[in-house]
Amino acid sequence: MRDAQHRVFMVGWEYPPHNSGGLGVACEGLTHALADNNAHIYFTLPYRFSSVVDHMNVITCQTASDDPVLLGMPPFLAYTPSLPGPAVFSTKDSLELSSLPQSEIEQRVNYYADQVLGVGKDLRRKYDIIHAHDWMAFPAAMKLQEKVNKPFIAHVHSTEMDRIPSGRGSHYIAHTEYLGMQRADRVIAVSNFTKRILVTKYNVDPKKIDVVHNGVTPASRLPSDQLQFATKRPMVVFMGRLTAQKGAEYFLQLASAVVNLIPDALFVVAGHGDQYHSLLFQSAYQQLSASVLFTGFMRDHQRDALLSRADVFVMPSLSEPFGLVALEAAQRQVPVIVSTNSGVKEMLQHALQSDFWDVSKMANQIKELIQNQDYRQQVIAGQNTDLEQTTWNNAAGKVSDIYSKLLDKKN
Amino acid sequence: MAKLCLYFQLHQPYRLRPFSVFELNQELNYFVDHEHGQLKDDNGLIFRKVATKSYIPMLRLLLDLAVEHPLFSFALSCSGVFLEQAQAYQPEVIDLLQKLVETKQVEILSETYYHSLASLYSPTEFAGQVAQHTQLVEELFGVTPTVFRNTELIYSNEIAIQVQQLGFAGMLTEAVDRYLGGRPRTQIFKSYTQEPLPIMLKHAQLSDDVAFRFSNKAWEEHPLTSEKYVHWLNNYGSEEFINLFMDFETFGEHQWEDTGIFNFFRHFVERSVQFDHHFVTPSQVLQPFQTNLAALEKLPAYDVPVPISWADIDRDLTAWRGNSLQNDALRLIYDLEKDVLATNDESLLQDWRRMQTSDHFYYMCVKWSADGDVHKYFSPYDSPFEAYNRYSAVMIDFQDRVREMTAKGSTP
Repeated sequence: MRDAQHRVFMVGWEYPPHNSGGLGVACEGLTHALADNNAHIYFTLPYRFSSVVDHMNVITCQTASDDPVLLGMPPFLAYTPSLPGPAVFSTKDSLELSSLPQSEIEQRVNYYADQVLGVGKDLRRKYDIIHAHDWMAFPAAMKLQEKVNKPFIAHVHSTEMDRIPSGRGSHYIAHTEYLGMQRADRVIAVSNFTKRILVTKYNVDPKKIDVVHNGVTPASRLPSDQLQFATKRPMVVFMGRLTAQKGAEYFLQLASAVVNLIPDALFVVAGHGDQYHSLLFQSAYQQLSASVLFTGFMRDHQRDALLSRADVFVMPSLSEPFGLVALEAAQRQVPVIVSTNSGVKEMLQHALQSDFWDVSKMANQIKELIQNQDYRQQVIAGQNTDLEQTTWNNAAGKVSDIYSKLLDKKN
Repeated sequence: MAKLCLYFQLHQPYRLRPFSVFELNQELNYFVDHEHGQLKDDNGLIFRKVATKSYIPMLRLLLDLAVEHPLFSFALSCSGVFLEQAQAYQPEVIDLLQKLVETKQVEILSETYYHSLASLYSPTEFAGQVAQHTQLVEELFGVTPTVFRNTELIYSNEIAIQVQQLGFAGMLTEAVDRYLGGRPRTQIFKSYTQEPLPIMLKHAQLSDDVAFRFSNKAWEEHPLTSEKYVHWLNNYGSEEFINLFMDFETFGEHQWEDTGIFNFFRHFVERSVQFDHHFVTPSQVLQPFQTNLAALEKLPAYDVPVPISWADIDRDLTAWRGNSLQNDALRLIYDLEKDVLATNDESLLQDWRRMQTSDHFYYMCVKWSADGDVHKYFSPYDSPFEAYNRYSAVMIDFQDRVREMTAKGSTP
């Protein structure tokens, strides 16, 4: 056993199976690897969590709602700022409620902060570090840090600058991110790409930031009957929320360009989001109704089966702090094209890269990958060597070092 | 003492089942789902449900009335896909229809077998579907239709030319004010074409009083009694034709039995006979013009340069091709015509034609307000987007089958 055991109070927001995207998956991978590294973790969630987790203590920080529909539902909409999330509040303290900010998601985050504070105070003797994941957790971590005076790490998986590429995102969210990072003792960024955003857009001291790339959990093997599905057409897959950030609009333009080169190519858009209806109309308007298939949000076996069957995976994000799904595709021996505006390209160095807007470049990359088997195998082999380094164990090792340094400094 | 021309439409589409990317290229049925190895046929469920609520009770009522009142007559139009499903799911519907035809008080109209929009896209496919429909009607009922009504009463000068060339005695369509120009809809018109065709126009107000407003409590005339309704008819003269065209499902399905719709209809027929209104069928009215060209020439012309229909407030085609989802789906299905015909494969031809049924495109409509509500009522899907996604997935699978068959055919 190396070092003393790290005792960590983690403020989370979502966790599989109730997750809307990469944040929950990253928390799962990281906490497992940290626990293997002999860390003891308390992990808070803003909703009732019924799954069995035995590598850490999961704490529900939300009073039960009267509305049974919302029980056990994660606040999925945290990443969809234009839509208010479902409100699940105890209405006891009306005075406090009336002083809350307007939007429901903000109210939720603040309510969560108070709940976490209560739990965190009670457990103060049982942890040494506060580790908070993304802005929804920052207000809680800041309040707690003030009360218990323990080091606080702000872990940034994504920023408002990524989510709303126009720059017209929520001022409240961006400000919360800013405050959290200013108050934190250390900041963890999931990529150098994100570190640059934190330095240039949030004015964080670069010396305060450590880059810890995400890992990826080894892919489970699919039952063979699930691999038999599907079309003989060359298949190109997009998987992600249908929001401006993820660049699905460029994926449609790409489909249009590729269909001119390979008429029977099939493009699959897996995901849901506020652009869904608009994307359907765009697809039809570009006469792509028999070339692009919208599958809605996929999880578990369906997701794995789709990734496994893909001939090419494309992630044309406008701004992607990491991009875990690209690693998952690579694990399934699928050649990947990633946006140059992404963190994952730093790990997946043998994957192909393109600017998200460079449709003709991506179209030629796809054509080459589909028509040139040698090239294709070469890309896959390169990705496989990249994947060897991309483990949660490596990530947890770096996080442990950060914990150790912080605690040494304090003592 | 007006002339009453009643026509009821019988149609059920083959709705598409949910079809996912994982089901492509497995030679699966597009219309019948499966679950745990069992067939799950929603089309059958829907047909039997509507048969119980509407087809069977209303056909029995019509048969009773026909027997009781030798002067009562009317027309029916049954799409080919309706008759197919009736045979498969509820043959009693066919028995009742046959008994009705035997009374000789019922006329069967012609339409496209697949209740399609082929008249707008392919004259040859249109003619083929009309011929296929005629053949089925002859087989089942031993009569040959002589008057045509197009899918959803879609009509234009162009379509009139096609129908005239197929040898029909006349046609039914909607009276649309922008083309009627204030002339009474109760007269016979001729098409505005080189070889004119006599036309009867739907009386939208009196038809929709029954079809849409009957049970609407917010309507100022609610409740509609047969006394009141026949009193309105009494305002028309003996030379006028009141053409009441509506969905058959008005009786028992759109208007449930507990609204009193069946009793209303029975009393409406009895009172109409009593007040000397004459029931006529379309061929009785239109056929004489075939041998009396002078009379035909004298009819006022109904000039419809842009297609009309009986749907929605605008009575145009936007219910089926008003947005890009619909337009692209229609483009894809009709672009396949040459390739599908070249395969000469029965199952490909049948699926291709079932996918032409207008309902598929109707379900993709995204209009708002009152029109949108009507569309929603008639759609089996949660949203127009679901309808589009299903069509898109099935289209991908279908294209692959056509490609495969074409490749097979071209290798010696």
